[in-house]
Amino acid sequence: MTDYGHDPLFGVFITPTNQPVTQAVDLAVLADRAGLDLATFQDHPYQPRFHDTWTLLSYVAARTERIRVSGNVLNLPLRQPAVLARSAASLDLLSGGRFELGIGSGGFWDAIEAMGGRRLNPGQSVQALDEAIQIIRGIWDADERGGLRFDGEFYQAAGAKRGPAPAHDIGVWIGSYKPRMLRLTGRAGDGWLPSLAYLQSGPSELTEMNKYIDEGAERAGRDPRAVRRLLNISGQFTASARGLFVGPPKDWAEQAAGLTLDYGITGFILATDDPNAIEYYAAEVAPAARELIAAER
Amino acid sequence: MNYGHSLEFGTLISPASASSGAVVERAVQSERYGYDIVTVRENPGQSDGLDTWTVMSWIAGRTNRIRISSNVMSAPIHTPAVAARASASLDLLSQGRFSLALGPGTAWDAQGTASDHPLSGPQAAAAVEEVVEIIRNMWSSEQGNLRYTGDYYRVEGTPRGPEPAHEVPIWLSGLDQPQLRLVGRESDGWLSSAADMVPGQFAAANQAIDEAAKQAGRDPREIRRLVNISGDFRPSSSGFLVGPSQQWVEELLPLVVDDGVGTFILETDDDATMRQFAEEVIPGLRAAADRALPSELTSGKIRRASVRARRAPGIAYEDVPASIADHVIEPGDVGYGSVRSTYLRGGAPGLVIQPRDTAGVIDAIRFARKHPDLPFGIRSGGHGISGRSTNRDGIVIDLSRLNAIEVLDADARLVRIEPGARWVEVAAALSEHGWALSSGDYGGVGVGGLATTGGIGFLGREHGLTIDHLRAVEIVLANGTVVRASDTENEDLFWAVRGAGANFGIVTAFEFEVDEVAEVGWAQFIMDAGDTADFLQKWGATAEAAPRDTTSFLILGAPRPGEPVIASVMTMVDSGDPEVIVQRLQPFADISLLHQQSVQLTTYRAVISNAAGQSNQGQGEPVSRSGFIEHITPGFARSASRLIHSGATHFFQVRSVGGAVSDIDPDATAYAHRSANFSVVAFASRRERLDAHWAELYPHFDGLYLSFETDQDPARIEDAFPPRTLARLRRLKAQYDPENLFNDNFNVVDNELRSAS
Repeated sequence: MTDYGHDPLFGVFITPTNQPVTQAVDLAVLADRAGLDLATFQDHPYQPRFHDTWTLLSYVAARTERIRVSGNVLNLPLRQPAVLARSAASLDLLSGGRFELGIGSGGFWDAIEAMGGRRLNPGQSVQALDEAIQIIRGIWDADERGGLRFDGEFYQAAGAKRGPAPAHDIGVWIGSYKPRMLRLTGRAGDGWLPSLAYLQSGPSELTEMNKYIDEGAERAGRDPRAVRRLLNISGQFTASARGLFVGPPKDWAEQAAGLTLDYGITGFILATDDPNAIEYYAAEVAPAARELIAAER
Repeated sequence: MNYGHSLEFGTLISPASASSGAVVERAVQSERYGYDIVTVRENPGQSDGLDTWTVMSWIAGRTNRIRISSNVMSAPIHTPAVAARASASLDLLSQGRFSLALGPGTAWDAQGTASDHPLSGPQAAAAVEEVVEIIRNMWSSEQGNLRYTGDYYRVEGTPRGPEPAHEVPIWLSGLDQPQLRLVGRESDGWLSSAADMVPGQFAAANQAIDEAAKQAGRDPREIRRLVNISGDFRPSSSGFLVGPSQQWVEELLPLVVDDGVGTFILETDDDATMRQFAEEVIPGLRAAADRALPSELTSGKIRRASVRARRAPGIAYEDVPASIADHVIEPGDVGYGSVRSTYLRGGAPGLVIQPRDTAGVIDAIRFARKHPDLPFGIRSGGHGISGRSTNRDGIVIDLSRLNAIEVLDADARLVRIEPGARWVEVAAALSEHGWALSSGDYGGVGVGGLATTGGIGFLGREHGLTIDHLRAVEIVLANGTVVRASDTENEDLFWAVRGAGANFGIVTAFEFEVDEVAEVGWAQFIMDAGDTADFLQKWGATAEAAPRDTTSFLILGAPRPGEPVIASVMTMVDSGDPEVIVQRLQPFADISLLHQQSVQLTTYRAVISNAAGQSNQGQGEPVSRSGFIEHITPGFARSASRLIHSGATHFFQVRSVGGAVSDIDPDATAYAHRSANFSVVAFASRRERLDAHWAELYPHFDGLYLSFETDQDPARIEDAFPPRTLARLRRLKAQYDPENLFNDNFNVVDNELRSAS
């Protein structure tokens, strides 16, 4: 049993399609009204059928009241860290502290390079993300005296002005799977944001992955509880129980609570573009799972 | 020198993080005070500055009308291809309210941090030019990947798109010669600040821009001149734009008259200044400019030479009336890719006009009349099969922006609907009142085409055709007059519109009496139709025998190799009682082996919400054949079975009609086939193959539903309309459209006239 003690968050992972133009916005507004905690969007700037995720996040935040927004996850190779840091702080300020920074080291390198981005190998991309997070945190640290100087292998800053400071302590949530990235997540992240669908043997893989994160945190002198563990899930509401997140909402709630208590997962982000599923998830799963988790703890 | 641009006014906001709420408030106030545009300063090196892109996106989410621009965005800190997509997204989300103002940047650094080595002079201009070229290429509707190799930027084969919602203007800043020449060559506008200018500098800069424009084959009027201004309102004068409002007007007027400024952007953080400028300076300056330049100010859009180069021959583009000039889309325009084709048909019209109101429709019709030799299509939702609502090098009037839905009289359930609304939107609006209007089987279809032809829908047997609910129309005739037609006014025209409307004009408003429809039963059965003739006959008998509250549609496709024919049966029961629904569906379930079934208690709205909001991207030319039949006879069923098993059709649909549809006198509307119980349609990819089999079915039919027939053989007109109906239509056609302007969709004009025209 592993539980890092965070209050659970329930959110949605919405396809940022640009056809129909406002579909993603409408679903996020629905999720906000339904009472979910997070509206998140993938970021593939090389995909012409998707909205630019940054523009969409900003627009969605402006159209919603309460829900937090995040990339899931933002594509670092096509987004420059200092610009991203200021953009993130700006959106956090405008939204009254409703932005979280889900970020990844990138993939689909052919497509990234085709757009004018820089191709990196896996090792380099971990290093680049490490450097980018340092720059981002450096820019956010507006109280620190003097400009930001950073001389990394992939990113540099020669006395960049710091600020603005975000409205709240923005969580840097990292999408990671491999040991090096997981250790980076433990060392530098505030959250971990993998997708259940990528775990070939299912949730049991989370145990070992958590270990790498904990190890990364401890080596950096951090408490492993500083890193919230979130999980992208997908599923189907059916009348009878058929498996993990395929069944009635009561089963979903029990399964979510199980993931919290067994693997410390306290963020459940449902990938769906179905308005009924979003409402159902908010009304039937989230409250029941919260109750179960509170009771078990 | 003035360039003929209509005057526009904007505000310039410096987004400081200390007061992020105030930033948004100033944008909202700008809209409230009637400014045309709100612009956001970018200070990438400033620690307290909010990110411009984020602020613009936020403003887009919090405003409705005002346009939004950067002022200016530093080209160097953005990856051009990403910036292109971000711009398109912002334009799409804001419904076409974005303008992109780019500058060379003060701090050249690809990471957005301070740099000691900014590019300058020709290099800076060259880099900006590459950014502009990449962005314009990314916005293009052309197929294929973009490859671009510049000195500063590369794009190595990434897909183009998306297209923005409108032609996003690209405005450039810059004062040195290389930048001004770039402005003249490439931009849609030049953005400067009055504070940076010395006397005579506007004239010199304009000269450089104009020369470069002409050298590039452009008209200098393509480039709007925008200037940032700031000042103070004071009771008495103490400097440029420091004084009373009248002084501002007098000092700004020469910039309009002599220096061609079309857009003034007021930089202020002070609400009172913003308000006084809007209330006193803007109207004062407009009036003064009208007096000084009585004939020069126009509102027409001036297109780039590269856009004009893609115009179709034979269209008098320069004569598009000013009233609709901003509502037309040409082949070179951004946005053309989403209007060129229809749902099932590829096209490349020379001009697509999207009127916003009846006056716009009148002007569009007048313009079309001046081009009698060009193809001319009318489009509402773009699903037309018989109506060619796209063409090659012709004119299309696209009514999609004329899409209001309004309840006129709640007690009488009388609703006014404009032609560009789609049935998914109609169903949503009506469901709020517990109402529905039977339309077709797909929510993406537009109102205009269907409601002038028939409307064979899921509630048809209970509630009749869509046109049977029509109580009045407003229609623009070929001569440009607007008339109302109903049972008491222009009765002949009202008769003709209900079945042959496309021949008589453009209906700009339909008034329907709609039905109270609460919950409905909705069943989708996937069934074995291996014995296809037997299945067809049984289904036909069941559908005919069902009470009127039950309307069933059937779809069959070509069998896959080694597999039986599969039938998809969709049935709506106009009842919220589960027992009634089950009772009605049972006979259908008993027809043959049921592979899959889904039965829901739902709403008409939910069923018809089966349409996504995608733009129409059809390619090629659809082939379909239609026929009405009274009963599914054994002979018909055998012939139909042979057609289906031949593989010549990929989509064979039979819709139940009859019931309430048959209660109406065949002479009451131009839709005369009231005795039919079924409407049959077959789609194919190869016309000859389909026709070979269709010839066998043809003798079984009595008439056809023109909306589902692509054949343009004049003989089909006589299938679409029985003799008495056709004779009356022809008389009315001669009266209402003697020049045969509306000739695209089952043209009822006399054959003599047809050959003469």
